[in-house]
Amino acid sequence: MRITTRAGAVVATAALTALVLTSCSGGGGGAGAGAGEATDDNKPEKLTVAAWMDFPPELLQSFEDEYGIKVVVDSFPDGASAQTVLRNGLSSDGAGLSDVHLIELDWWTEMMAVPEDWVELPEIPDRWVDWKVKQGSVDGVITGYGTDIGPLGIAYNEEMMSAAGVATDEDSFAALIGGDSASWQSFLDAGREYVATADNYYIDSLSSAFQAAINLLPDAFEDPESGKPYDMAGNAQIEELFMMFAEAAEDGISAGIPIGHADWGAGFQNRQWATVVTPAWMAGIIAENADGIPGWRVSSTFPDGGGNWGGSFFAVPATGENTAWAVKLADYLTSPEAAVQWFHTTGQFPSQLEAIASPDIAETENEFFGGQRLGQVYGDLAAAAGDAAAGGYRGENFAGIQTLVTDGIRLVESGSATAQEAWDSVVSEFDALGFDTAD
Amino acid sequence: MALTSAPPRTVRRVGWGQRLSRWDVKLSPYLYVSPFFLLFAVFGAFPLLFNIVVALHDWHRRAGMGDFVGLDNFAWVLQQPLFWRSLENTISIFLLGGVPQLVLALLIAAILDQNLRARTFWRMSVLIPFVVMPVATSMIFGQVFGQFGILVPNLHALGLFTDSSSPFFQDRFLSHVAIGSMVVFRWTGYNALILLAAMQAVPRDLYEAATVDGAGRARQFFSVTIPSIRPTLVFVILTMTIGGLEIFDEARLFDGGGTGGGQGGTDNQWTTVMLYLFNLGFGQWQDRLGQAAAVGWIFAFIILIISLLNFALTRRISSSDAARGRPRRGRRSYRGAQDVDTQSVVARETAGDAMEGTTL
Repeated sequence: MRITTRAGAVVATAALTALVLTSCSGGGGGAGAGAGEATDDNKPEKLTVAAWMDFPPELLQSFEDEYGIKVVVDSFPDGASAQTVLRNGLSSDGAGLSDVHLIELDWWTEMMAVPEDWVELPEIPDRWVDWKVKQGSVDGVITGYGTDIGPLGIAYNEEMMSAAGVATDEDSFAALIGGDSASWQSFLDAGREYVATADNYYIDSLSSAFQAAINLLPDAFEDPESGKPYDMAGNAQIEELFMMFAEAAEDGISAGIPIGHADWGAGFQNRQWATVVTPAWMAGIIAENADGIPGWRVSSTFPDGGGNWGGSFFAVPATGENTAWAVKLADYLTSPEAAVQWFHTTGQFPSQLEAIASPDIAETENEFFGGQRLGQVYGDLAAAAGDAAAGGYRGENFAGIQTLVTDGIRLVESGSATAQEAWDSVVSEFDALGFDTAD
Repeated sequence: MALTSAPPRTVRRVGWGQRLSRWDVKLSPYLYVSPFFLLFAVFGAFPLLFNIVVALHDWHRRAGMGDFVGLDNFAWVLQQPLFWRSLENTISIFLLGGVPQLVLALLIAAILDQNLRARTFWRMSVLIPFVVMPVATSMIFGQVFGQFGILVPNLHALGLFTDSSSPFFQDRFLSHVAIGSMVVFRWTGYNALILLAAMQAVPRDLYEAATVDGAGRARQFFSVTIPSIRPTLVFVILTMTIGGLEIFDEARLFDGGGTGGGQGGTDNQWTTVMLYLFNLGFGQWQDRLGQAAAVGWIFAFIILIISLLNFALTRRISSSDAARGRPRRGRRSYRGAQDVDTQSVVARETAGDAMEGTTL
């Protein structure tokens, strides 16, 4: 019995000490600041890049030929898995992280919560569009080099449009959704017109379209100055936009199957819908999923002039061992030449000015989309979007609040609630979360 | 007892070898079990206790520990309508998955207990669904129950559920049925084999005696088999309860999982408490780890209560069995069927147990 009590006391003390020590250390910081010089002395044998898209075959080989460093891609099946690994790595002092990490715009704010985690990257003037550089900076310090952007376009199926008798080609479709003064209202009204005579849905998912519309707003959910969320009940612009989409959902123009849903691919094959809001990076995914279904095109008209959805950056974690050379690799991977190669490999649209202007991209014909020159189409869409492409303010709680609100649209799409009921439930769920809102 | 005086005894010096062996005897048992306890302390006990620290603070996922907020996180969680909704979902899924699972497992075990041909083949193949990863099962079942799967178009053709395009993903109860079916698929075989092992330990004499008394197969099942495997049944029910309340994989992957899904349904139709915890702490929100930890502890408390209820029920059953003198019966039957008393005793016991079975 004596042993038990004594052993118990020892164990308890040890456990308490360990607990207190661990809780005191909390979230540590990294090295921060610059990476230093990349010289022959600190040249590593290999560098790793974490990404989830295919790399152009010659790109890594030419880096190896030029610098003698082997580049290995840590490949993830999708962005979400890379995000998880990055989260865990940042919280555990860099465990499991690669030298260079691809970060999507959606979770850029989350990853940059502690700026000291990332190496400051040197400015490369005139390489990217302005707003891409700004998106990739934190408090004026560049921490990410831009890869692709997602100019918004609308993919539509010409054959389905003709069958419904509402449009026959590019120009008539543009006229259908509102032409030069196309707005979300005119786009949704076109949907109502379409379903009146068609035997399928107009759009795959209004919640995706709603998310694209949110991307165009300068300050959708949070106050850019204080970072605090707006009170949802009093957020008039969101309520108006929400009701617009919810009422369209009530009228049954949407199939309610967004990208990422298990049935999305099957939906294409079963010809369930005629339009999809398509940023540049989604075009290739649609081509894969809708393989064998003819008639898909991308329109050069977009509601409210257009905007941007997504895009990624290459960033260098500060806890890496070879940050100087990792910065060089990030520079190499985001050069205009690399961007052009990527366009041909995955179809992603470049953010580099030279690449956007290059005839190589503008003149490539996409076989799936009926020989359309998607480079040109998306280039024009990006140019038309102008400043709106920079996107709005995304604070800490942006992702969570956005999911909450788009869920409301999904509720109406599935027929579980009316537009007003859905909005009321969004407001009450937001209130239940108990935010300290901006006044 | 020597009468002659013996030389004075010298103090015996305990040699090293003897001292070591005494330590060996005292310490070895603890050393032999220490690897498990060390690992448990590091990977089991420590995170468990550290979770209390997290639950009492404002915890940002990246920036780490914030201010001490006491029980605020717990109060916040208990006020969330989503928490209560996920609790309801969890219990519903648990019942819809657990009860059929148990019934099927019993039936399958009873069938496998018979003298089948290729017995080993059947017994092994019953375990195959268990070997399939939950992830794969969820993806496939998600497709089957999906809008374009084999089930829904046929149901629509029969005129059922026509008011929703994807009934198993939109209707709350049906989504629980679908997820429950995944649980049944996975765990029935496993539990069947455990129950089979218990059934195989039931002495065959009991069945013989029961047959002699005129009991049919069904009657034998309820009156001989089930009472005999009661302790194992209780164990199976307990593990099934705890496992069923902690369902996460199936709920998360039912509609595609990570990319775009994994919410538990647009209206949280099938969000279980574990999924709610995961989304709260590791989903879209960045600074809700404290609240997620609070969810964990509140739910652990709920599971504890349910397990204690389970345990109390167990003791009542087992103690009533002991009072009825089950060992006595076993010994008697081993002594041989020639014993005149045996048959009437067995008959009385069987009848008594049958009655007891019905009261439960």
